[in-house]
Amino acid sequence: MAKPLTAVSFSVLWHACIQCGACVAVCLQREPFISPFDTIAVETPCAIACMRCEQVCPTSAIISRAVQVA
Amino acid sequence: MSLDSDYDVVIVGAGPAGATTARYAAQGGLRVLVVDKKSELGTPMQCSGAVSANALGECNVPFDDEFIAEPIYGFLTHSTSGEQIRLDYRAVGRREPLGYVVDRKRFDRYLTKLAIARGAELSLKTRALGFVRDGERIRVQLERFGQHDEVSAKVIVGADGIMSQVGLWSGLHVAIPLGDLASCLQYIVEDVETDGLLEIITGHEHAPGGYAWVFPKGYGMAEVGLGVARTMTDHDARWHLDRFMRESFMRERFCRAKVIEVQGGGVPLAAALKQMVADNVVIVGDAARHVNSLTGGGIHTALRGGCIAGEFLAGCLPSATRFTRDVLREYQQRWQAQLGHQLAELYRIKQKIFRDPDFERQDRVLFETVGNYFRPDSKYRKV
Repeated sequence: MAKPLTAVSFSVLWHACIQCGACVAVCLQREPFISPFDTIAVETPCAIACMRCEQVCPTSAIISRAVQVA
Repeated sequence: MSLDSDYDVVIVGAGPAGATTARYAAQGGLRVLVVDKKSELGTPMQCSGAVSANALGECNVPFDDEFIAEPIYGFLTHSTSGEQIRLDYRAVGRREPLGYVVDRKRFDRYLTKLAIARGAELSLKTRALGFVRDGERIRVQLERFGQHDEVSAKVIVGADGIMSQVGLWSGLHVAIPLGDLASCLQYIVEDVETDGLLEIITGHEHAPGGYAWVFPKGYGMAEVGLGVARTMTDHDARWHLDRFMRESFMRERFCRAKVIEVQGGGVPLAAALKQMVADNVVIVGDAARHVNSLTGGGIHTALRGGCIAGEFLAGCLPSATRFTRDVLREYQQRWQAQLGHQLAELYRIKQKIFRDPDFERQDRVLFETVGNYFRPDSKYRKV
């Protein structure tokens, strides 16, 4: 049985977010990984898990949690 | 109003780069559509809004009270400890402003009005979703007030800022290295005095990998902000800005400050894209990282890039039958010749400063480099 991959999923504290797009600008995904509010995609597994989006946010509005993907 | 089905150029993003590309392309006779996902241009504010009078003149933007928040007459650079390099051109008799802090909401709207006056069409609340090739042309998929729409074009211009999706769709390497994206936050404050100067506060202690600033904003307001490289600190920009206002040598000046707006953004202190064109695609402005890496200034470079892109497209597209990367490459060559070499040099200077592990020496070199950058004999002042 294949071992499940560990990925992360992001949520955004919308009242802290200033919609600057810095999280999207540093994203290493090669396909669009963006929310309708100009943040990194939310509640979508990210297998790269570099955490650059979380780091670059000027207001620490991005929160990540580990998720398992088949 | 409905959109036409065919354009020469679809421009994604109506900031300074997109609006200027649109103005020059429409002035040259092209059919131009500018789309922007926002309902109001220039919002949310993501920059301090400083632009030189020289930049406006070069790009044929008339000075207008509609967008000017405050005229600027010089620069004051501070070291970590409060040492100063002051360049106040009023002291040598200059009366005309060197530049302005603009209200970005009004400035972006003004630039777009100039483009519309030349014949460009604007569609707001319109998000570009992607494009597909259709012979030599492309079909650009749009979502307009929530409804799907599609237009045909020869070229799509990505003027969609640091988070450029047009670049991503084109397969260009657009992700900005974490250490090259200044994470910025600024407060618009009342009760902080300014004197017509752009003030820059250097030093690792206040803004690791960047600098802090105090700019006049007009009507008695000021912008107090800073940018940091997150590779050089464990804290976010907000933490650093609050500490700067509370604990730095300037703290007395901020003790009565009242924050009335919070703004921020990512400033690409990065090398320009190696490829700014792809088949049917041109990238301009922040999306192409057309930014002065030393000062973080991006309006001048966006305007200039827009002039170059718009003029090139107006000259190229009417006679071209194909719109491949090879055909569009001349845009990048023109940009390289006019701006690229200087911006690359500024990026090298910035990298050398911030890679120095001796922070005391780093602080000293940054203070002197930024302070001297604004001198009248600086070879870089024009960018």
